[in-house]
Amino acid sequence: METVLFLARRLLQALAVVLIVTVVVFCLLHALPGGPARGILGPQATAEQIAAFNHEQGLDRSLPVQYVYYLGNLLQGDLGTSFTLNEGVSRLIEQRLPKTLVLTVLSALVGLLLAVPLGMWQAVRRNKPADYAITTLNFIAYSTPVYFLGLVLILLFTQTLRWFPSQAPQGDTVAQVLADPAALVLPVVTGAASMVAVFSRYMRSATLENLSEDYVRTARAGGARQRAILFRHVFRNSLTPVVAMLGYYVPVLFGGALVVEQLFNYPGMGLLFWSAAQSSDYPVLLGCVLVISVATVVGSLLADVVQRIVDPRVKVGRA
Amino acid sequence: MSGGILDIGHLDVTFSTETGDVPAVCDISLSVRPGETLALVGESGSGKSTVALAAMGLLPGTARTSGRVTINGTDVVNASEAELARLRGRTASMVFQEPATALDPLTRVGRQIAEVVRNHRPVSAREAAREAVELLRRVGIPDPERRASAFPFQLSGGQRQRVVIAMAIANSPDLLIADEPTTALDVTVQAEILDLLRGLAADSGTGVLLVTHNMGVVADFADRVAVMLRGEIVETGPVEDVLLRPAHEYTRRLLAAVPRLVVTEPGEVRAPVEAGTAVVELRDVTVDFGRGPRGVRALQDVSLTVGAGETVGLVGESGSGKSTAARVALGLVPPASGSVALFGTDLGRTRGRARRALLSGVGVVLQDPVASLDPRMSVAECVAEPLRVHRRGMTAAQRRARITEVLELVRLPEELMHRGPRELSGGQRQRVSLARALVLQPRLLVADEPTSALDVSVQRTVLEVIAELQAELGFACLFVSHDLAVVQEFAGRVVVMRAGRVEEQGPTMSTLLRPETDYTRRLIAAVPVPDPVLQRQRRAALGAGA
Amino acid sequence: MTGGVETAGRPGLVAPFRAPLVARFARNRLAIAGLVVVVLFLLFCFVGPLVYSTDQTHTDLTQVNLAPGGAHWLGTDAVGHDELGRLMYGGRVSLLVGLAAGILATVIGTLWGAVAGYAGGWVDAVMMRVVDAGIAIPALFILLVVSAITTPDTAGLIVVLGLVSWLVPSRLVRAETLTLKNRDYVLTLRATGGTHGRAIARHILPGSVSTIVVAATFQVADAILLVAYVSYLGLGVQPPSTDWGGMLSAGLTAAYSDRWWLIVPPGLAIILVVCAFNAIGDGLRDAFDVRGRG
Repeated sequence: METVLFLARRLLQALAVVLIVTVVVFCLLHALPGGPARGILGPQATAEQIAAFNHEQGLDRSLPVQYVYYLGNLLQGDLGTSFTLNEGVSRLIEQRLPKTLVLTVLSALVGLLLAVPLGMWQAVRRNKPADYAITTLNFIAYSTPVYFLGLVLILLFTQTLRWFPSQAPQGDTVAQVLADPAALVLPVVTGAASMVAVFSRYMRSATLENLSEDYVRTARAGGARQRAILFRHVFRNSLTPVVAMLGYYVPVLFGGALVVEQLFNYPGMGLLFWSAAQSSDYPVLLGCVLVISVATVVGSLLADVVQRIVDPRVKVGRA
Repeated sequence: MSGGILDIGHLDVTFSTETGDVPAVCDISLSVRPGETLALVGESGSGKSTVALAAMGLLPGTARTSGRVTINGTDVVNASEAELARLRGRTASMVFQEPATALDPLTRVGRQIAEVVRNHRPVSAREAAREAVELLRRVGIPDPERRASAFPFQLSGGQRQRVVIAMAIANSPDLLIADEPTTALDVTVQAEILDLLRGLAADSGTGVLLVTHNMGVVADFADRVAVMLRGEIVETGPVEDVLLRPAHEYTRRLLAAVPRLVVTEPGEVRAPVEAGTAVVELRDVTVDFGRGPRGVRALQDVSLTVGAGETVGLVGESGSGKSTAARVALGLVPPASGSVALFGTDLGRTRGRARRALLSGVGVVLQDPVASLDPRMSVAECVAEPLRVHRRGMTAAQRRARITEVLELVRLPEELMHRGPRELSGGQRQRVSLARALVLQPRLLVADEPTSALDVSVQRTVLEVIAELQAELGFACLFVSHDLAVVQEFAGRVVVMRAGRVEEQGPTMSTLLRPETDYTRRLIAAVPVPDPVLQRQRRAALGAGA
Repeated sequence: MTGGVETAGRPGLVAPFRAPLVARFARNRLAIAGLVVVVLFLLFCFVGPLVYSTDQTHTDLTQVNLAPGGAHWLGTDAVGHDELGRLMYGGRVSLLVGLAAGILATVIGTLWGAVAGYAGGWVDAVMMRVVDAGIAIPALFILLVVSAITTPDTAGLIVVLGLVSWLVPSRLVRAETLTLKNRDYVLTLRATGGTHGRAIARHILPGSVSTIVVAATFQVADAILLVAYVSYLGLGVQPPSTDWGGMLSAGLTAAYSDRWWLIVPPGLAIILVVCAFNAIGDGLRDAFDVRGRG
């Protein structure tokens, strides 16, 4: 019962967020020079064509009415038509999104698998040289623009060492992409670097906090060894806040994918978005923003549900 | 002093802090024999918990220990972590103060108990789980098979403390160290936990080191007592001697400060004040927190009145709604139904300036001495705040004069005026709160547990100041407290609350000596009195009655 | 009898005495190093040109792509600007825009979070869903959309960056406000007729200062990093003006031709300054003992 309520409330919140995102995107659409008509008919359209289009599409009606139409279209999966690629935006995104998801999920997994043990190890060796060294490395990784880091990696591993190709896999399907793991290494590492930095910091402070909790003292008073305390109790308790932060990190992952895809020429959503920006392909731009935002909301939702499974105390409405 | 399960000789503990070394314990020697309970009593900062932690080798890394601590002949001070791990939970166990945080929140309680079993005995997981259920049954948890798979947050505070005790006795230790085991619990739950510990110790001949500040608990439980003051033991002896014929001057002072619940014959009765017209009146007040299925009814049809000049004690256990009722009277919590009249005016229908003017007749002192004063303001600024709000016309000089005056009333030296709250002790801070409450000469003082975070000797001073000022200034007082003894001393009338309702109310003496409801009777019976002989009689009577 | 309640949480343990704020900050060696780095860079960018004077407005096609040495300590770029001098001028833009945008974001976030936290109820719920929505749209995507629509001037850039990064501080300040408004001293004030205005002005805002200062420091670090992305995304300041990000993006094309002096100096400058602000933020957070990022 509690869990059902939790899910229902959390879903409602997510819906509210998505609704606000659609308002933002709708406003952006109307803030475009020439409005959505210019956006859809393209820069060559004449004033008469625009007026006719506006009437036909109901764009001469009041904004709230238009917003309702817009929402209606969205619900039918209609995100408009790209005017450079001459294809439906939804179809374009459908092709590209899975590949971006592969990249982000892999980066997130690699990032977490490195960050969590690293952070715990730092906490145990708190204020020792190794802790300071990793903290410094984390600072550097966090402070490096992703495109700069990617460039350095490309120069090092493709030009000097020649270990990996400088291009990401170019396949059309997820299976084809995964079939070329060597080409995925550099994009994934580039995307995971700042995640390692951020999450090992979270994990370090969460572990430190938990090590000073009363329950650790209770376990110790019951004769538990340090190792058992760390892995049986502290690990899970420290992981929960880290999982919660994962939800907020989803947009950063997508932001990273934008740069990584451009850098390694990986044909995902990021690259689609990038080329759309170069050609002012507004329907594609706004469609991508909408889809990425929804993906982010779903990601946070998943993170919350996972957190709820790990920690039954979690209530909705934390902030 | 040897032959005990626990032997401590010439123990010194020093903590290194940011600003240098702070000695916590100096030259302590004590010993606990099998089957005996030694109570280590003292006020906060006396070092009693440090001794308990040192005995288990659980002090934090910032502590330096010297001297001798042995448990069953094993040296604790110089033992390795591995040796200590073998000792802890097997030869010696510990029960802590805060059941809310003592258990791993993400591990089912059965597992946590089973873990202690398996730390020391090579039994299968299944066998350990079965033992865990058995232990839960032994510590009096109903339906232990089901409760074993509960998470700590699904249990009440008392039940959690029982789980901690189950962990402590899992391997039948020779020594049990209990550090304020009932301080965080309601008084009826405290009585149950003390019964449980007493029974377990008596059954198995376990030696108990009981750390507490509560003289009632000492009288109820201990065989011998050691009194600590500023890191040293000032007096040791059998419980009857120390509590009834204290030798040391500090012990005498401490015992004199303990509020005693009068349970047999009417003692000195505070002259009942003739209650005047009502200064505050709650009529059929109902309060809900949250809505829908998660909503909680905090108050249900609560009616109470405080007349001019009288003191009404509002008592109850945690969750009884006593603090909520006080907050309703202050206008901080709007009632869902019912009405609040302050000085004869309906508070719910008064807005803006008129409401603020009405509220200027109220003084407030809340429980937490740390949270009650803005740490960024000086004492003078804290006390001046009501003047700045309600006496805008005052000049700085007038304000200063008034602040000096009111600080003198609460017996605070004028030099403290420009100190920050952080530089004051808990008792001083509560007196600053009191000064702030009285600076506008209110007609009503609402005090929500004003002394429950203070040591008894400090509590005594603060209560005396409030009583004196009330006699002098004649304000009415709504006094919220969980401590029946304090209320009995302090209030003319008492309102007993339970689960959001008023259980009964009446003149303090008659209500607390001849309660009308079972609940009040149980509440009173659960309060341990700091007299071991009397307490033993009460317990015997209770046992016979049950 | 004194020395009571400070130790109430752990009876028996002596209250840990805390050193003053400055001393606590000074003990954090990384934070002090960060402070030194920031001061050095400010001197470098704003005083440096007085010592090492270069022409950063006119191109000089006779002096392009020179390696470090001689008159040009760090060489020259593809249009003949002295690289070291350019680092100083570019740094002015990066630091100014970063500082201004970081502070603007903190101000917006503080106001938004304080109002939401203090008002509570449905106002809070709506305002926080707006923040959630803002967080759901990745900042880089918004910046790229903006770059497709227009190219803002420096002031516009500051506003755009401020508008995409106020969300995190708003959450922090809201959380702080929620705690502070239920502190006993605020309740006491409200219960004795004090106004909301007084509660906010005298207690809640002063009480949040440490949280806000720490948030602002991290925000500046993030903003400087974001500025570095801006040119890469096509939003950057127009030539002949530049910033470190612009220098870095311009140098990217040179990456394969061994002209390291076009990439390494601006890259290192960005990393060093961002690290420095993060280290200061860490030090402040520990010194103030507030919760903040990480």
